[in-house]
Amino acid sequence: MNMVPTGGQSRISQHAITETTSVISHQLKTPLSAIKSSLEVVLSGDLGVLGKDQQEYMQLALDNVKKMITLVKDLLDASKIEEGRMQLVLEKVDPVKVAQGVIKDLSPFAGAKNTEIEFQAEEGVPQIQMDVIKMQQVFNNLLFNAIKYSRGKGQIMFSVKKDGDKVLFACRDNGIGIADSDKDKMFGKFYRSPRVSILAPDGSGLGLYISKAIIELSGGKIWFESEVDKGTTFYFTLPIQ
Amino acid sequence: MAIVKTYKILLIEDDKFLIKLYSEKLVREGFEVSMAISGEEGLKKIERERPDLILLDIILPQKNGFDILSEVKLNPNTNSIPVIMLTNLGQDADIKTGMDLGAADYLIKTDFSINDLPERIRAVLAKHSL
Repeated sequence: MNMVPTGGQSRISQHAITETTSVISHQLKTPLSAIKSSLEVVLSGDLGVLGKDQQEYMQLALDNVKKMITLVKDLLDASKIEEGRMQLVLEKVDPVKVAQGVIKDLSPFAGAKNTEIEFQAEEGVPQIQMDVIKMQQVFNNLLFNAIKYSRGKGQIMFSVKKDGDKVLFACRDNGIGIADSDKDKMFGKFYRSPRVSILAPDGSGLGLYISKAIIELSGGKIWFESEVDKGTTFYFTLPIQ
Repeated sequence: MAIVKTYKILLIEDDKFLIKLYSEKLVREGFEVSMAISGEEGLKKIERERPDLILLDIILPQKNGFDILSEVKLNPNTNSIPVIMLTNLGQDADIKTGMDLGAADYLIKTDFSINDLPERIRAVLAKHSL
């Protein structure tokens, strides 16, 4: 009788699950892009002027389709991480410029949330090898969280400096902070603190999981310090080759 | 009176609903649009119609978009036609493959607004006519 080790079975099932996620994610993108494009055309006024209520409902639908697209992409990334299929396309770039680009793109969202993003880069930060698109995703995840979880007048400080044979990035906010009971779960898949779910119900719980995987695949580390109701600082490093 | 050139765009896309959305948008913006719903049909139309620009999906019946792009760029009769990839394949490796094969731009359907499509096409056409 052939015995199949339990571990083997579990690996096969896990492979089937992640493969299915990957296929479903790709298949979902086609109808989602069709829905998104349709709503954009209607909202642009190309097909006739919309009334205020119609505009509002169409915009609500579009915002939700965009959220779903983000979730599908996150699921696809998570399945790749689990299968060890996530790959980096490395190029030598100035990390300061990459960070500045993301901050600029997020400024309108920060402004709408009454939050200011300050940026500090020390002299002498060298060019480093990075996957620009994936690192933009990391910067975006951290800054987006900092904006989302700010309260009242938000203050965010994003800094970049050389630290020995690494470049050290820090993203500090004065938001709600992370409770001690949540701290060891923050980089877990699908984990969302109950406090956070109330403040921003639309997150997928995959942003930090994906960010950690990208940073570690790039040879860096990520960690944070946080105090409830005072704020959080996420730190991460990337190696200087 | 100045004569304004009407640019002809060949859209190679197998999703009928997206064909309708993109083509109607481009016609409203003053482009002439021709369509193909498979890779083979697309290649025939490129050869026969010599469009000013090609909008090319990647996952297509018969022949995929990367194969089509490669054939277009290897053929001296068509290699000067700019090609914009318009796809849902958005992984870094896909983008790199498209750009390495000679695409003029790479648009991910879920990430860009259809309202920006005419401008992206005009930018490529302007760069191409320099």
